[in-house]
Amino acid sequence: MHELSMAQAIVDTVLDAAEKNNATEVVEVTIEVGMLTMLNPEQLKFLLDVITEDTLLENSKIIIEDVPVEIECRNCEFEGLANTDGSDHYLAIVLCPECGERNVEIIKGRECNVKNIKIEKSDEDA
Amino acid sequence: MHKIAEVEVQHDIMVANRKLAKKNQRKLDKESVFAVDVVGAIGSGKTSLIEALIDAMDYRIGVIAGDVISKYDAGRFQQHQVPVVGLNTGKECHLDAHLVEHAIHDLPLAEMDILFIENVGNLICPVDFDLGSHMRMVVISVTEGDDTVEKHPLIFQDADLVVINKVDLADAVGVDSDKMVKDVGEINPEVQVIKTSLKTGTGFEEVVKAIDKFLKDY
Ligand SMILES: Nc1nc2c(ncn2[C@@H]2O[C@H](COP(=O)(O)OP(=O)(O)OP(=O)(O)O)[C@@H](O)[C@H]2O)c(=O)[nH]1
Ligand SMILES: [Zn+2]
Ligand SMILES: [Zn+2]
Ligand SMILES: [Zn+2]
Ligand SMILES: [Zn+2]
Repeated sequence: MHELSMAQAIVDTVLDAAEKNNATEVVEVTIEVGMLTMLNPEQLKFLLDVITEDTLLENSKIIIEDVPVEIECRNCEFEGLANTDGSDHYLAIVLCPECGERNVEIIKGRECNVKNIKIEKSDEDA
Repeated sequence: MHKIAEVEVQHDIMVANRKLAKKNQRKLDKESVFAVDVVGAIGSGKTSLIEALIDAMDYRIGVIAGDVISKYDAGRFQQHQVPVVGLNTGKECHLDAHLVEHAIHDLPLAEMDILFIENVGNLICPVDFDLGSHMRMVVISVTEGDDTVEKHPLIFQDADLVVINKVDLADAVGVDSDKMVKDVGEINPEVQVIKTSLKTGTGFEEVVKAIDKFLKDY
């Protein structure tokens, strides 16, 4: 499983953004995880809690938002949310809800995106 | 006094890999090298299949051999007198575009027509990591059981060619290989599925032809 390396990359990204904004602490981190990734959000969250010890993220709240699969159908040109049989992570098979075809382009659902962070900073920096 | 501020980050960790993969592909295109990412279950026959392809195809072939810790597969390829780079992933369960970028750098691309990239044996993690290849071949074998396809649909959804190997053992392990073919078809109706035995040679010629066709159509 690559949740650990992903968690590390997420922490690096957050620390970078926090430092650039002169944060004294990171209060909240919101991450978007696509339903078509092979990442398990529970595991990711657990690992983030472990590896953020002794960093600016130590006490931050980690919010993971599931991103449903969005497609563009190459068959009927439908654009929007896909039908996924089995809404489980890793098990989603993507279908066009209009024509039932599998020949689709994935627009959303493969991301692991650090969306935004809430930071605390001292007033002088404001 | 302290104040709370919200900062937009919008940094997608997956996109970083995909960008690198594109870069790898551009580099391969420039040198006219056709790259095949070979993924599949542990012990399904990835190395054996690539070895047989090296011996059977008239193209100049090079190999990147991904392994968790050993250089065992790289050693096997070297015996076939082709350029090989062994990649140790350490704790990682998949190759990524960055590792492949380094390996490509160490290969004599100008003297190659095809690059086979043997990924780490794993049906789950490689799905998240494009390497920059032109084609992805998934290799499983009957000994993993005939529910393998159902249990790992995503890797088959993205595949360009699927090989179901070790059919010589199907009866011995009580597995219905036709069910595996049917399951792939349900997930990815377009993909060609070939049943092989590298022990007896069954189906191997078909694999050669399928890869050849992809290369020529590209
Ligand atoms: N009976 C039988 N054995 C096979 C066949 N193909 C490969 N093997 C054997 O299966 C074992 C594993 O084959 P490899 O080619 O090393 O498999 P791999 O997928 O490269 O393995 P890893 O790199 O460890 O994941 C070897 O002992 C092969 O000789 C086949 O068609 N039939
Ligand atoms: Zn992994
Ligand atoms: Zn459609
Ligand atoms: Zn191998
Ligand atoms: Zn590097």
